[in-house]
Amino acid sequence: MSKTDDTQTPTTAGTRTGTGTDRTSIRVDDPIMEIRNASVTFDMERGESRVLDDVSLDIERDEILGIVGESGSGKSMFASALLDAVVNPGILSGEVTYRPRGDAEVDVLGLSPEELRELRWEEISMVFQGAQSSFNPTITIRAHFEETIEAHNYNMEQAMAHARELLSDLYMDPDRVLDSYPHELSGGMQQRTLIALSLVLEPNVLVMDEPTAALDLLMQRSILSLLEDLQEKYDLSIVFITHDLPLVAGLADRLAVMYAFEFVEVGPAGDLIGNPTHPYTRSLLKAVPNLDTPLAEMRPIDGMAPDPVDVPQGCSYHPRCPLADETCRAEDPAYHSVSPDHQSACFHWEDSAEAIPLSTGGDERGGGDGEMRAFAGNQSDEPVVSLENVDVHFDQVADGGLLSVFQEPDTVHAVDDISLDVYENDVVTLVGESGCGKTTLGKAVIGAQRPTDGTVAYRGQDIWEAKDSRRGADIPYEHIRRSLQMIHQDPGSSLNPNRKVQASLEAPLKRWEPDMDPDDRQERILSLLEYVGMSPPGDYAQRYPHQLSGGEKQRVALIRALLMNPDVILADEAVSALDVSLRVEVMDLMLELQDLFDTSYVFISHNLSNARYFSGKAGGRIGVMYLGELVEIGPAEQIINDPQHPYTKVLRWSTADLDIEETVEDPPLRGIDIPDPVDPPSGCRFHTRCPEAREACTREQPTLGGHGDGTEHETACFREYDESHEYWDSEPVVEDDADATADDESGSWGHANE
Amino acid sequence: MINKYYIERTAQAVFTVFAVVTMTFGMIRLMPGGPVSYIRSQLVQQQGNQVDMEQVNALVEVYTNVAPDDPLYVQYLEYMTSLLQGDLGVSMFYNDPVTMILASAAPWTVFVMSISLVLTFGLGITLGAVMAYIEGSRFDVSTTLVSIFLNSIPYYVMAIVLVYILGYQFNWFPTGGRVSSEVATGMNLAFLQSAFYHAALPIASLVITGFGIQALAMRGNSIRVLGEDYIRVARLRGLAPHDIALRYVGRNAILPMYTGMMIAIGFMFGGSVILEEIFAYPGIGYYMFRGIMARDYPLMMGAFLIITIAVVVGIYVADLTYGKLDPRAGSGGGNREAY
Ligand code: SF4
Ligand code: SF4
Repeated sequence: MSKTDDTQTPTTAGTRTGTGTDRTSIRVDDPIMEIRNASVTFDMERGESRVLDDVSLDIERDEILGIVGESGSGKSMFASALLDAVVNPGILSGEVTYRPRGDAEVDVLGLSPEELRELRWEEISMVFQGAQSSFNPTITIRAHFEETIEAHNYNMEQAMAHARELLSDLYMDPDRVLDSYPHELSGGMQQRTLIALSLVLEPNVLVMDEPTAALDLLMQRSILSLLEDLQEKYDLSIVFITHDLPLVAGLADRLAVMYAFEFVEVGPAGDLIGNPTHPYTRSLLKAVPNLDTPLAEMRPIDGMAPDPVDVPQGCSYHPRCPLADETCRAEDPAYHSVSPDHQSACFHWEDSAEAIPLSTGGDERGGGDGEMRAFAGNQSDEPVVSLENVDVHFDQVADGGLLSVFQEPDTVHAVDDISLDVYENDVVTLVGESGCGKTTLGKAVIGAQRPTDGTVAYRGQDIWEAKDSRRGADIPYEHIRRSLQMIHQDPGSSLNPNRKVQASLEAPLKRWEPDMDPDDRQERILSLLEYVGMSPPGDYAQRYPHQLSGGEKQRVALIRALLMNPDVILADEAVSALDVSLRVEVMDLMLELQDLFDTSYVFISHNLSNARYFSGKAGGRIGVMYLGELVEIGPAEQIINDPQHPYTKVLRWSTADLDIEETVEDPPLRGIDIPDPVDPPSGCRFHTRCPEAREACTREQPTLGGHGDGTEHETACFREYDESHEYWDSEPVVEDDADATADDESGSWGHANE
Repeated sequence: MINKYYIERTAQAVFTVFAVVTMTFGMIRLMPGGPVSYIRSQLVQQQGNQVDMEQVNALVEVYTNVAPDDPLYVQYLEYMTSLLQGDLGVSMFYNDPVTMILASAAPWTVFVMSISLVLTFGLGITLGAVMAYIEGSRFDVSTTLVSIFLNSIPYYVMAIVLVYILGYQFNWFPTGGRVSSEVATGMNLAFLQSAFYHAALPIASLVITGFGIQALAMRGNSIRVLGEDYIRVARLRGLAPHDIALRYVGRNAILPMYTGMMIAIGFMFGGSVILEEIFAYPGIGYYMFRGIMARDYPLMMGAFLIITIAVVVGIYVADLTYGKLDPRAGSGGGNREAY
């Protein structure tokens, strides 16, 4: 794709035109859309809120343009602006031009309501983040398609045929999906269905606003690889908006980075990742956990994104920028051409590489340097918590047909026969897709979930026995409960909204250490607040939870758990809800506090990068779960760099590398959707999706230990067994082989979550 | 399991009715001053002191289907058997079989109630939807105030006011009866007109005091639904506004009100006792009231039974059909992350 020929020469610093600096320089040869000086403003009591600030950008025909920014950077506004769909009372100004094939030009903002109605979905379509909330819950998926087709007077038969094709392109069973209600589909299927719905009228441009954010990484990557196929098959121009730079890096042709409601750097994906010039882009790359950047190099970005009412004078990034000088504070930088099609809105772009060094790419892969083990504590020989053959089964209320009255309730095997030891000062990260049982297992570890079978022991004392007998226990149950704490994904839910931080933090101390004198208590709380960077602590102690940001709430929740002096803390997706740039910061803090308090973490994450960062930095382990079973466990770096189980390899694949050369390939998987946990596949549970599955896998179940080299790294797969195992002699399971897969239909492509 | 749910609901409904019937039986049998002593005292009045106990018992059995001499369980069984056969005894006051009286009264009560229900909800839902669409406008604010005000008036107060002013003072509406005695019964225009004319005030008092709460509920639901993402997506998909209003906003806003609607049926039947008495409108409630006043136990019990059954059936139907109307009901949300 050849790009810009009329790029402006780098504007001399200080050229200001009208309301802002001339930033109209991002041009491409054959734009399908041109956005010029687009602004979105809201009138607020505090003043005018400018949530899109005079942005200009071209979208090239048939390209995938990735737009990256943190939440609140204005990227969703940009998406809405493309369809003139800014929600009231926002006011959109500027120019949006759509160029369908040929010379035709459509002034999107000047269209009549009817013309606009036709433009949307027929020419430019959109996919939203929350697929579940994008569907009318009370009508079927089919009705959604039909009413859309009808509203645009398309030929129903042809369009429905197209819809079915799209659904199969997205690896779903069209009939099954069409006849379902939205809630009957799993999250990944809903999102794919929404994509099909957005493409049913064969638009030319598809705008996707965080389309995969709510999904598991594996599903995200699978969808991305499907998107690339769709884009080629249907000649789409895709605008993909996300906060996750590594995710789009491999997918997008061009990338545009948004900060404070404007584009700060735009360029071909390879250039932008390989040679980022804007300090923000560089910091963003460092802040995002990924599998390639050496651990020691990941750094959070200091400071906060600006408030739309009060964007800093001059370069909006200057309060956080290490390169900022007087010019930056006084003037808004124009775009400087790094190369003809790579623009950067920074005065000092040439110096940024030096000031903020990066080493992306695989050159320092693994990064097992000294600092990485900085937090590694002394792990004891005796486990603190020990799980033996633990099962957790739930009875699920099914809503089947008439006959289900006579059936036994379905049993969900949330955790199946898992043994796991957690030592002192240990970090165990559990990873896996939604519904794999990682949360349940985590809860079983801290005694918050009673196992249906097997034992959970705390320092040799069976937790549930202690609870039931109360007397005979060596270690009283109260003590155990206190030693095993939990912090939730949503810290807001665990803090009482009507209590000040101080009161929330005092409660556990009062309960567990009633003798402590109030001044000491106060002192301890304040010093901890200070320690986690919430200063002035006196001020924070008097706040209510709603006056705290997400990261701050998570810190308070963490302090509260630590005040009990626990031995193990279960951190359930504790950083997933935070902005990417904050995640590293909070994880660092957790690890520092581990050192200070001598605790162990059981960290639950669906994200392998976070898992690697967290476990890796503390020299801990990663356990990979699939459908209630632990399929591989071992030291973090080994799991990441040398995964053995085919499923771990899939997860590894799903964790996007920053490596731009690596295009999105097809997933090393035979099915996208997870089988129903009510009726897990026979034999190795992964065999319905495993690319290596052979006939033996469908019958027999591999186990974790008892084979391999006897190290800490264990894998439950027959490929780890020696040559004599029948796996090596049996036939591969082929997809079209009806016999082999017939009874596992539900586990294959397009399983509806019933 | 949704079918288990159906079975449970059915069992619950049947049990409620059964419990009420048993209670009625107990009341007849045990209440001091119950029908037995009532009949005896009537006979004493008529025939002086030489009352034959056998005659009393025979009479009691005729009226209430219970023979006082039999052992308790036999009495109970007999009472239940006759109930199942549709025999509710004989009214002492009217000297007609209770079943017959109530059967002739029921259609009128159903007539008034169903029109009231349709109007209450029709008006409430329409108003609520309009208010939600123009949320914050003067119409919205004033309608909200009026709705709250009217809703705070008990229906019987409204009934008395209406019958007093429009009935007795202005003579615009009849103050009693089902139809004018001059028209011939049958499906002719005059008859229908007269029926509506007589039913107008009872209906009005129910509707005027009832629509407000429904309008407010609909308004709240609609505003919530209007803020949902799927409305925005539907608009972007270019669906016609009336489709969005009906299939998206309407459907999702009305569904939560559905259960309330069914329960309102039962409530209205209960209210018919006072309402029909005020308007002297011979429906089930009217006869129940008469039965109470005249200590006519069989009539009273029969009417009570019918009203109870109406309430139970209303709630039962609501429970059962809700699952059919709202595809999400009974699926437990399907949150897989919870495992
Ligand atoms: S160096 Fe100056 S212009 Fe460049 S990002 Fe930093 S503050 Fe902005
Ligand atoms: S045992 Fe077989 S199906 Fe299971 S992961 Fe190994 S190769 Fe795949």
